[in-house]
Amino acid sequence: MKHGISELDWNDYVDRCAPQQVCDRIEAHLIGCLDCWEFYEQMSRANRALVDAAEEARQKTIPEDRQLHLMLSGVFSRIRTAEAGVPLHSQVKGRLSRLETVLAPFCGPKAAVNALHAAARSSPASSLERVTLDNWGPFLEELTAIAAAMCGETFAGLVRESGQF
Amino acid sequence: MEEKQVIEDFLTNRTDQAFCALFEAICVRVRRYFLLRGLDSATADDMTQNVFVKVFRDAGDLRETDRFYGWLFAVARNEMISYWRRESGLGKVQLEPLVHQHSETLATEPGVLEDIRIKELLKALDPAERDLVLLRFVEGLSYEELAVALKLPVGTIKWRIFNARKKLSRIAAASPADRAREHIN
Repeated sequence: MKHGISELDWNDYVDRCAPQQVCDRIEAHLIGCLDCWEFYEQMSRANRALVDAAEEARQKTIPEDRQLHLMLSGVFSRIRTAEAGVPLHSQVKGRLSRLETVLAPFCGPKAAVNALHAAARSSPASSLERVTLDNWGPFLEELTAIAAAMCGETFAGLVRESGQF
Repeated sequence: MEEKQVIEDFLTNRTDQAFCALFEAICVRVRRYFLLRGLDSATADDMTQNVFVKVFRDAGDLRETDRFYGWLFAVARNEMISYWRRESGLGKVQLEPLVHQHSETLATEPGVLEDIRIKELLKALDPAERDLVLLRFVEGLSYEELAVALKLPVGTIKWRIFNARKKLSRIAAASPADRAREHIN
């Protein structure tokens, strides 16, 4: 509290939501107090900066329609899975584990794990931890391509089959 | 249809169609909150979906439309705290992204949020003030909605906003918009 004006009064005044009585009191004081006038100017400037920056942030964070559609599909997919009573991560984890089992006898356990990581990195998931039901398709395509390069098309076909939900 | 009507429609009818309309109307806001709090776009998309699964599942408990945004961002905030807790590998709540992983990239969507002004302003604030400023100024939440979202009294919210403005007043003079205004005047 300075000069009888509390922080909350100042806050409401800058927000233009202070009661008329408070507005009158602050305005009467501002006429005669240079310190408080400067303080008010600084607070208003900060407020304007925030309003402008917020508008810019809103403009620069609009997703594409395609992205919205993908997210909405993802939400329904998660809702359906949750309703079926199977946790999402356990479904994905189970499928990854199955793929590792398929890959390991052909290329060794270490290479199998590396192939899974490489496929995830090249896919929209960007890492194995982020592979979900929503981005499973592109991940499996990458893994199939890696499997084809490592052990041929027939093996790649087996990987694709094993990875399908 | 206005956002408020879309929310009312969903809370009243709870149909898939109403949910789709709600998602289209407001998912941008939830995703933006995550992006501006320092998450990359893939994580922001993932967490936005988690939030809307909870909206679909739990919105029936919400009786008052006026509390919807406060409740929505409380869900989003909890989701973010859980994410940071998982990422940190610690068993305790983190109020801010881990210093070495996120602090240099408060906004990280490649090529889009690099030069964003709000990022610069948020850096001057404490972690608790960043949520407040984003929700108040970017998302336009009222003080009452903020109180619901952050589970704090309205007086505390106002006091923190006041302090945030005070801190920002020191760097706000450098705003390009202000310089333009001064030039015009």
